[in-house]
Amino acid sequence: MERSDVRSLYLLAAFLVCAYAMPFLVGAWAGTVRLDERWLGNLATVVVGGVMQGGVYAMFALGLTLIFGVMRIINAAHGEMVMMGAYLTWVAFFYLGVDPLLSIVLTLPIAFVFGVVVQKLLLDAAVGAPELTGLLITFGLGLAMIYTAELIFTTDFRTIPYAPGTVQLTSAIAVGQNRVISFVLAVAISTAVYLFLKLSRLGKAVRATALNAEVAMVCGIDVRRIYLITTGLAAALAVAGGALVSIQFGFNPETGVLYTLQAFAIIVLGGRGHYVGALIGGLMLAVLENLVSLMVPNGTAMVELAAYGLMISVLLIRPGGLMGVKEG
Amino acid sequence: MRSTRGSSSSGSDSNQRETSTHGGLGMKTAAILAFAGALAALFVLGVGTGWAGHRPNNEVLVGGAISQTGQYAEPAGRQVYSIKLWVDEVNARGGLLGHTIVLRLLDDKSDIQTSIKLYEKLITEDKVDLLLAPYSSGITEAVANVNERYKMPFLAYGASSTPIWEKGRRYIFNIVAVAEDYQKGAVHLARQIGVTKAAIIGQDSLFPRQAGKGAKDWCKKLGIDVVLEENYPTKQTDFTALLQKIKAADAEAVFSNSYFADSAAQLRQMRELNLNFKLYSSTIGPSLPNFPEQLGATAEYVLGFSQWEPLPKVLGHPGMQEYIERYEKRFGEKPNYHAGGAYGALQVTEAALKKVGSFDNEKLRDALATMEVQTIYGRYKVDARGMNSHEGLTFQVLRGQRRVVWPEKWAETRAELPTPEWSKR
Repeated sequence: MERSDVRSLYLLAAFLVCAYAMPFLVGAWAGTVRLDERWLGNLATVVVGGVMQGGVYAMFALGLTLIFGVMRIINAAHGEMVMMGAYLTWVAFFYLGVDPLLSIVLTLPIAFVFGVVVQKLLLDAAVGAPELTGLLITFGLGLAMIYTAELIFTTDFRTIPYAPGTVQLTSAIAVGQNRVISFVLAVAISTAVYLFLKLSRLGKAVRATALNAEVAMVCGIDVRRIYLITTGLAAALAVAGGALVSIQFGFNPETGVLYTLQAFAIIVLGGRGHYVGALIGGLMLAVLENLVSLMVPNGTAMVELAAYGLMISVLLIRPGGLMGVKEG
Repeated sequence: MRSTRGSSSSGSDSNQRETSTHGGLGMKTAAILAFAGALAALFVLGVGTGWAGHRPNNEVLVGGAISQTGQYAEPAGRQVYSIKLWVDEVNARGGLLGHTIVLRLLDDKSDIQTSIKLYEKLITEDKVDLLLAPYSSGITEAVANVNERYKMPFLAYGASSTPIWEKGRRYIFNIVAVAEDYQKGAVHLARQIGVTKAAIIGQDSLFPRQAGKGAKDWCKKLGIDVVLEENYPTKQTDFTALLQKIKAADAEAVFSNSYFADSAAQLRQMRELNLNFKLYSSTIGPSLPNFPEQLGATAEYVLGFSQWEPLPKVLGHPGMQEYIERYEKRFGEKPNYHAGGAYGALQVTEAALKKVGSFDNEKLRDALATMEVQTIYGRYKVDARGMNSHEGLTFQVLRGQRRVVWPEKWAETRAELPTPEWSKR
């Protein structure tokens, strides 16, 4: 690690300590922080809730970071792929009567094929082109997906009443069943993808392509095939994320935009193209949002300000993000 | 007669295409062609029809921009249904003052800036003869500056925030109950079951803020202590922290000024976190047709507000039964209050135009300001500000059905409160 790199890491660490201390300080000043047992229970519930949430966010951020890492394309349609996953799950649940978790087994292959098709038809043209090309192509794809979904499903909000009960972790900490299920699945799927990338031959080829596509090609890796697999995998991650989102929140064709933004903030925070960074970024973002909301007076209105403020600050202090990916 | 109807339906078809390719090159070419065609027709016919904004084929252009996509698409969509129903009915009756209605309904994408642009376009480029209102208080507030400038009146059916009518505007009228009264019934019911501490939360936009202000005033009047008041961003999905905060403040009742996604998320997360409140009330969410169906048992006991319900026997407004039947036959669901309000407003507009006898906007404005009309939605008669004193009702979701519980004169059943704990449901 170079010296400037180390310095920016320390600076970032110091900044993050301040950022996370801020809600506590404001809360103490406003009198919303009470250090009794009940309040600490609230705090713990909120942090646990944030971690559960962050795990799911991290999973679809992983897909975004994968495409970016391998092809240097910012997939602006990633949130729409999440939305597509939510609708696939919804259709499977309400029309075919398939359990939302079981339906992941059905939807993942569909998502993979969808990703491959998108790569073939659209993204192949954007690889190696200026970054704006990929951004515009995927932006257009996202809009097309939104309006297609509106045609089929209308703009009505949908939700799936699945596992609505509660899990009492301790007497003070409760968390939703669906959240626990989502979190466990998100961690399992993310870990599987991570291990695939780390250990399998194909995964290593993906990483090699991410490091340097030309060298990978010289070494005999079929780079175009790697691109297909990458986008297929990213789409599958997004669709799986959509399934997990659909059992927690309401969604309509336009909610995808929100998830694109969230995934964006997460990978900027964690480090673009960095897989573990996405996980850490996801957890950090969700926990900070919840802390601000719990302690700052009228803090829920400031959640987005805090989240994107964090993103911008990280970009300024350490453009490569937490895990420090060097540009160029 | 048949030929006019045919031309009107093809007219509205091409409008829909216009909506979808709006802004594209095709539309421009089409617009130029249409313009050239209209000019040619004028030269050939060489006649005017006697009133401003006249068009070929004895048509009248009725236009507006309303959210067909975006966050307001769900409630506004029901108003679009009513608008389409009304247009076809009027055309079948022989048109507005004998003119076939051509409907130009654009999509503002639930966006204020887009809406302003579209209304400018409708008034200055398309030169519509009659304006229709947009949906949501925020958008209506912005559009009110545009139509005021061009002195074109409309009757708002999607805005209930009082400040819109407190700026001395002359060309905007309303038909619905004001935002400040959305939680009125819920606060009264809370008082009845002895609630002393309440939380008021809501989305951070004009209408929920006004509803929150009204809820606070009603709480003050009835002696309920507001222990927490908080707004959240429009796209908020995770309410874990906010709900914990409400519980920490010892609130017994939650008055949530929310739409569908946010109220659904709040309820689900209350259940997940096992947080029990004596009463939960939401302004918009529960009144949407698919709310109980999508949420299942989680929606039970929730209080909601309705401007109107499709209950002709309870409300007894003239023509209700027939309207409900026609609407249900065409769209496969009963109209909700958004649909009813839009239809009522269009009935008033039609009556006002009949009284005036022409498409003179100034005279139409005067008629809207002074007339009293009975509609399927209730009585219309505005005060000096242009506001109607419409009375809404509060309902509770009981066994998957919305049942009116307040005010007492319209109550179908007694409210089942306080809400049982999650573990006992």
